[in-house]
Formats: sequence, structure tokens, C-alpha cells
Amino acid sequence: MTPAQIPLEAWLLFAAPVSAILFGFFVMRPLAPEKTHWPILLSCVIVTIASFRLALPVLMTGQSFDKNIWQWAVAGDWGVAFGLRVDGPGMAVLTMVAFVGSLIHFYAASYMKGDPGFSRFFLVFHLFFLAMIGLLTSNNYVQLYLFWELVGLASYLLVGFWFHKESARKAALKAFLTNRVGDFGFLLALLFILSIFKTSHFNQIYFLVDKGFHLEALPVIGVLLLWAACAKSAQFPLYFWLPDAMEGPTPTSALMHAATMVTAGVFLLVRSWPLISAVEWLPHLIAAIGAFTAVGAALIACTKKDLKRILAYSTVSHLGLMMLALGLNQVGTAVFHLFTHGFFKATLFLCAGNIAHALHQSTANVDEVGGFRKAMPWTYACFLLAALSLAGVWPFAGFFSKDAILDAAWHHGGVYAFVGPLISTLSAFYIFRMFFLTFHGSRQEQKGLSAHPHEAGFGQVAPVLLLAIGALVVGPLRHGVTRLMFFGFQGLPTGWPGVSGTLNLPGEVFLPEFNWAVFALGTGMAALGAAGAYYLTMVDAGWDWRWRGGTVERVFESDFGWKKVVDAVVRGVVGFARFVGGVLDKTWWDGLIEGGASSARALSERLSFLSAGRLNDSLWWMAAGAALLLGRALR
Amino acid sequence: MNLVVWCVTGLLFAAGLAMTVLRRQLLAMLLGIELMVAAVNVALVHQACLLSDAQALAAVLLILAIAAAEAVVGLSLILRAFRSDRGIEAGGFTELHG
Repeated sequence: MTPAQIPLEAWLLFAAPVSAILFGFFVMRPLAPEKTHWPILLSCVIVTIASFRLALPVLMTGQSFDKNIWQWAVAGDWGVAFGLRVDGPGMAVLTMVAFVGSLIHFYAASYMKGDPGFSRFFLVFHLFFLAMIGLLTSNNYVQLYLFWELVGLASYLLVGFWFHKESARKAALKAFLTNRVGDFGFLLALLFILSIFKTSHFNQIYFLVDKGFHLEALPVIGVLLLWAACAKSAQFPLYFWLPDAMEGPTPTSALMHAATMVTAGVFLLVRSWPLISAVEWLPHLIAAIGAFTAVGAALIACTKKDLKRILAYSTVSHLGLMMLALGLNQVGTAVFHLFTHGFFKATLFLCAGNIAHALHQSTANVDEVGGFRKAMPWTYACFLLAALSLAGVWPFAGFFSKDAILDAAWHHGGVYAFVGPLISTLSAFYIFRMFFLTFHGSRQEQKGLSAHPHEAGFGQVAPVLLLAIGALVVGPLRHGVTRLMFFGFQGLPTGWPGVSGTLNLPGEVFLPEFNWAVFALGTGMAALGAAGAYYLTMVDAGWDWRWRGGTVERVFESDFGWKKVVDAVVRGVVGFARFVGGVLDKTWWDGLIEGGASSARALSERLSFLSAGRLNDSLWWMAAGAALLLGRALR
Repeated sequence: MNLVVWCVTGLLFAAGLAMTVLRRQLLAMLLGIELMVAAVNVALVHQACLLSDAQALAAVLLILAIAAAEAVVGLSLILRAFRSDRGIEAGGFTELHG
């Protein structure tokens, strides 16, 4: 396929954001910075339409394509291409990213209005979006890595957007450095892949792995990729940057949590699934990490006060659920949960943004809110829809994806069968605790009643409403998303180990049968959680404050001690760096260099009499030289 | 006879060299150079006579002319140096240092 045969939509996927950013930077920013968002919003619309038009044929007929557009790094007969891969997993995530991301762009246009950095915000925001589009349509690991890093860079710029705040700078640095630690794993995996497979193209690697080549290298590559995904998707050892990343403007958090950033890690694992599933124990490791993170983060989310922090831990928890689904070999279910999670989590974040906006703050905590139900009816309604979806109540989108994961965990048995319902309860508890405290609560500990909140404008309500409706209706898309996953590994024979758990035959989609027991268990546990939240916030009001200030709060505030471990590790690394910089470099190495320099200087001072420039000395040398020559000549 | 001439010219040459190298006055150094040239000339005349070599005698005349010219240039340089208030001691001229 020559470049001319690539569909227009695929070109637009890149052309629209790139030209919007360039136009915004070179034309709008100098001339009318307060209107920088117009070309960018237009690009959002184009990208959304293009991604749907690309996804539709893939969904209907499975016509995915994978083409190199040009070679951008060539060494002999080896090269890295810049290509486009339009296939099932990419399109399943891309349609969600484009739709949700665009709505967040529209929201941001009114949320950020009047900010002195409005134009900078929109340019970087769109770069973030562009990086994610590139990540989802990459056809080789090198290109994926490039966009992966671009996502990291854009998130750094956005988290540290209000750079005059020290906390924002620190959070941005924390996010960036933690991601760099993860990226290092990706880089190592990439180098292993390049040196072992001699190619970075997904298709060729899938093929080689399927034929049984280089299986001995897969455990190492798989663990390194998992490490990278843990950093990007905020899983257990490296999750801690995400809650701090709340320092950015709320649309950033929404975009990061729903569409662009944290989904990249899960997507990387989905892309690498044929590699990872070829190692028998690796999915178990992924499931264990996912389940552990999901439970831990959900527990912490129950105790947080800051609205955005509750949601951040909730995201960590739900990413853990996706990892659990992946580890149980349910690739389609994981991607489907990613899909629905994008909708309801974006809604929740934007509602939190509306609340903070009403209080004229960048964020809010439950002490500052309370009883906002009457003042903000639209936000209230949207939050309720999204909260029901998150808690997994039928017929909301979250129910379908969560139920599928619960079902898979139930069938797998063991401890995971209990993790699923536990997460259901905890999710329902923390989200309804937040809901009641924000919109119903009116305790004396809260200042909500004196805050005089007001409903946000149309530009901030309409996108949230659309997202909330999305969170209501995308549930039945499950078959579509699962079907799309089947087209993800095209070129592979049927019966592929990684896919066979989800799919059996070409064109036929295997779905677990609706399980009444799981449905009843999941919904019952969610109802239990919601009821618990109601009791502890409305009936026995003030309970939420009673236990604070003691050991329990300290345990939760330090994330069960993990934050202290991280601090110790960071201190160790910093100490080592100080040793290298202060002792090794400054004392030893510099001493060696400067010792050499000073001894050379002393020697030259001793010898400088040789070239004092005195005529008689020169004549001595001349006479000696002449004598030498004469001696040679006479011999 | 031969040995006597070699010894005398050698002594003269050595004296000229010592004068050039050891003395600090520019005039003395110039004198030393002239002495060395003269010593070589004497040796050359002697050898030319022994070997009946007319070309060598012609070279002697050429060397005499060059020595005269060299003395003129040297003296004028010394004069310039004297007028430039830098003295006529070799220690005042260290531009050749590295």
C-alpha cells in the first residue's frame, strides 16, 4: 500500500492535530491567544469523526491494516519504519480516547477561560491527545516508545502547569521521574526485542513468537514491559505518582485518568499480549499485581478527603481490575473496562472540576463542600449517573465491564473470586461516600453551607452531561469491543494462546454466559457498599471525622507504609547520587585530574629555564646541534 | 705543518665559539662570529693550497665578502638595539622564548 492508498481518515488522525498545534502555536498564540482553542477544537471533531470512520470497517468486516509509511531510521537492510496500524485493540481504545478526550477539550475551553496560560494549556493538552493517538496507531515498538515518551512529557508539562505552585512542580517532577523509572524498563525491553528479534514490528514479532522462535527471551522482555506498564498505568510498585498528579488543572486529570495517560500501560500489555501470554507464569504475576493494587487503592480511596484524590485512588484501583482481567487472559474484558472506565471516570473528574470551580479553587476536599445538591443540579445528576456506573449498577456501563471481570475472576476461582466482590463493595463505598458528603452532607465539620456554590456554565455542563450519558449507554457495546479484540492479532493463526480464552473461531465471538450468581453477588456487594456509605455519612454523621488523627489515619495516609518505603528508596538513591557526585567525582576523580594537572605544571616550571629566550642559551643549542651534525657527517 | 694549521684554526674557532656563547655583550658575540668565520677561512685556504683547488679559493673570497656584509648587518642591528634603549646586552632580548 503506497501512502496514497492509506485512507484519508488515517491521515487526518495525524494531520489534524499536528496542523492544529502548529497553527495554534505560530498564528493564534501571537495574534489571539485567548482563541487558541478554536483550531484545536476543530481538530478534536475531525479526529473523533475520523476514528469512528476507521473503527467501523474494522468492527464490521475485520479489515484492519498495518502499513509502513516511511523508513525513518535505516541502517543497512535493517530499519525502523513510521507506520500506521489500524486494528481492533487500537480502534477500540482510540474511539473512546477520541470521543472522551474531545469532550474534555470542550470542557477545558470554558474551565480554563481567563487563565493567563490558556494558550499554552491548550497546545500542550492537544499534544497529549496527539501523543496518545500516535501511541494507539503505532505499528512497531520503537514508534510506540516514541509516543510513550511524548505522553510522559506532555503529562509533565500539564501536571506542572501552574508552575508557580511548589506542590505542582514537585508533583510534576514526581510523575515524570517515576515514569522515567518505568520507561527504563520499556527501553531495556525494546533493546532486547531489537537485538533478539531483529525487528520491532508487531506483526513480525507475533509471527516469530507463534513459530516458537526466541521463546527463551520472552520472560525477561515480558517482565520489563510489565514494569513499564506498572509505571504508566499506576500499578503497585510504581503507582504513587498518580494521586499527586492532581496538582494540574482538572481537565488534565480527567484526560490523564480517562483517556490518554494511564490507559497507555494497559494498552502496551494488550499489544504485547502474544509475547506475554507465551510465558506461562507472567499472566499470573499480572493478575496478582492487579488484584493487590485494586484492593489496596480501593481501601485508601475510602479514607481520602480530597475529591480528586479519592478519584485518583479509584483510578488506580480500576486499573488494577483491568490488570486482573488481563492476567486472567481476558484481553477483551480488560479493554472493555478501559473503555467504560474512560467514560465514567472522565465524568467524575469533570464534576469534581465543576465543584472546585464553584468554590474558585483548583481542587476541593470534603471539608469544604456539602449540600451542593440544590445549587448544582446538573453536576449532581451527572455525578450520580457516573457514580452508579462506577459502582457497577445495572444497566450502567460500569456494570457490564465489571460484571465481566467478576465473572472471569469467579470462574478462575481462588482468592480472585473474593477480590472481585470486595472491590465492588469498596468502589461503591468510596464513591457514594464522596457523593453523599459532597451533595447531601451538611455537617458542622463541613463549610459547605457557607460556600455559596453555583452551577457551572453551559460549556462545562454539556460535555459532562454527554459523558454521563455515555457512561449510561456504552455498556451494550461490549460485544463490539470484544469483537474488535479479535481483529487485534490479525495475521495470527486461530487458537492463539493469548486470544483463545476470549475467542474461539474466526468471526465468532465467545462471551461468557450471563451468570446470575455473579450478577447477584456483584450488585449485592455494591449495594452493601453504598448502604454503608449512606450510614456512615448521613445517619451516623460525623463518623468520617471521628477516627482521624490517630494511628489508623497515619497508616492510610502513608498508603500502608509503602510511601515510607518509596521515600527510603528515594533517599537511598539520592544518597548514592550524592556519594557519586560529592565523593567519587569531587574528591577522587577531580583529585586525580587535578593532581595530574598540578604535577605537570610543577614539572614545566622546573623545565621552563630551557626556553627562557636568552640568546646565549639558544646559541649553546645551536653549537651543540652543529657539533652533532658534524659528528654524524665525519663518521 | 698540517697539524699546526688544524690546531691553530681549531683554537681560533673554539675561541670564537666560546666568545659567542659565553659573552653577554652583543658586540663581543659579533666579534666571536667573525672569529669563527676567519678560522674556517684560514683552514680553507690551507686545504685549497694543499689540493691546488681554485674553486675553494674562490669560495674563500666569497666568504670574506659575506663576512663583511654580515658584520655590517650585525653592527647596524646592534646600533638599532642601542638606540632603542634596550641596551647592548644579550639579556635584554628574550623574544625567542617559547
